[in-house]
Amino acid sequence: MPIKTWELDPNFKNEILNEPGGEHLTACYQCSTCTLGCPITELVPSYNPRKIIQMSLLGMRTEVLSNPDLWICAICQTCTARCPQNVVVGDVLAVMRRLAEKAEEAGEIKIESPRPLFETAFLHTVEKYGRLYDIGLAMEYYPKREGSFVAGQKAMMSDYMGFGMRMFLKGKMGPLGGHGLFKGLLASKIKQRDVMKKIFKWVEEKEKER
Amino acid sequence: MSVEKLAYYPGCPSEATALEQHMSTEAVFEKLGVELVEVEEWNCCGAAEAEDPNLVYALNARNLAIAERVNLDIMTPCSICYYNLARANNALKADEELRAEIKGIDPSLEYNGTITPKHILDVLVNDIGLEEIKSKLVKKVEVKVAPYYGCYIGRPPETAFDDPDDPVLMDQLIELIGGENVPFSTMKTKCCGGPLMMTRADLAFEMARKILDTAKNAGADCIALACPLCGMMLDAKQPDIEKALNVKFEMPIVYITQLLGLALGIEPNKLGLQKNVVGAKKILEKVV
Repeated sequence: MPIKTWELDPNFKNEILNEPGGEHLTACYQCSTCTLGCPITELVPSYNPRKIIQMSLLGMRTEVLSNPDLWICAICQTCTARCPQNVVVGDVLAVMRRLAEKAEEAGEIKIESPRPLFETAFLHTVEKYGRLYDIGLAMEYYPKREGSFVAGQKAMMSDYMGFGMRMFLKGKMGPLGGHGLFKGLLASKIKQRDVMKKIFKWVEEKEKER
Repeated sequence: MSVEKLAYYPGCPSEATALEQHMSTEAVFEKLGVELVEVEEWNCCGAAEAEDPNLVYALNARNLAIAERVNLDIMTPCSICYYNLARANNALKADEELRAEIKGIDPSLEYNGTITPKHILDVLVNDIGLEEIKSKLVKKVEVKVAPYYGCYIGRPPETAFDDPDDPVLMDQLIELIGGENVPFSTMKTKCCGGPLMMTRADLAFEMARKILDTAKNAGADCIALACPLCGMMLDAKQPDIEKALNVKFEMPIVYITQLLGLALGIEPNKLGLQKNVVGAKKILEKVV
């Protein structure tokens, strides 16, 4: 489909340039080295970081931010390492994901990928306890992803029943390893949890400032 | 030896899914005579899920500050924790304003940039050194190993400490202990898929499959690695990958510290070798 030039947002590239990690976006000269070495492109041939960057330079804001491909980047940083223009491609995609979340909050787009839910559930456990709590993460993530508590429990069981049993039998979670009765089953909490709360609050305020 | 004492940042998986990496790290460093002082009350580094750099900087400022207060460089056995500690350290060292702002969140986050974050492979090979390790070896680990590095060791350039395309630090350790590195250069630095496991398991499984497949075809007895997320993906999820893709690997996945520990004469159970999901004890037959 042809690009409708009158619908482009010339300011979109500045939005990216102003975010930490997005500073070098305009150095891209479209050589495609990022895409040629990408392990995701190997599996999903339509996945094309070069194209996403070019679209953002052109100002195709809605198309970029609602592109489901943003959410299948594995953050392996191969693109970043190989970019001859030091664009820090991996970080640029992270900036786009953050802008997409903001755009969703503003009601401009809808994100189909469950990845924002996963990242939020992960970070909630860090904010609450100071450390990752796998079970707490799963208990928040699956019901949200599946739309109901029951469906969430079902999906969690199907993904993690075998894994959980292995962790239990190997004594990595639970009493069999002799490391404690509730090892890995209960959250590991740090004492300075108030500092975690303050950190997350500061980050949220910084986000609003931008 | 240039290093006697380090602050040790185990990272969240050390408490459950990568318990064997934690156990073998402590055992190996004790044997090498390098004291590890666990970062008191350490917090999560944000892993791959903290996509806002400010969050990474603030979370890691706290861990860096705790290590700085005891005046020790901080070492971690996890590649993602290393990446986050190192990029936070770079940003904080370069930006006085950022340091002041983060200190303003809470006084416990006051970090002055006087220490250095290190990945365990870097410490073993470049700081302790192959000669020093060699002098303490008592056994030969005659296994065929696929040395798997994954991400954040040779890239991104900002925090890398080995070659981006053909890293060698783990290869050197494996040769040193009597092992043989099988041809594995096409997979050494490919991503294991771990960060996509919870949201696109189909892609993650396929990425892991390629690594397992290549190691098996190269005749490896095991894959050695140095990252707990790769460990979770390749070891703990291996039975799920086999089932989903209808393949059979039964490929033992061991942390490099477990292999090194065997060569140092440490009891296998002290290295957590009973905890690897895919039976790793069969490599013991090749320890002489």
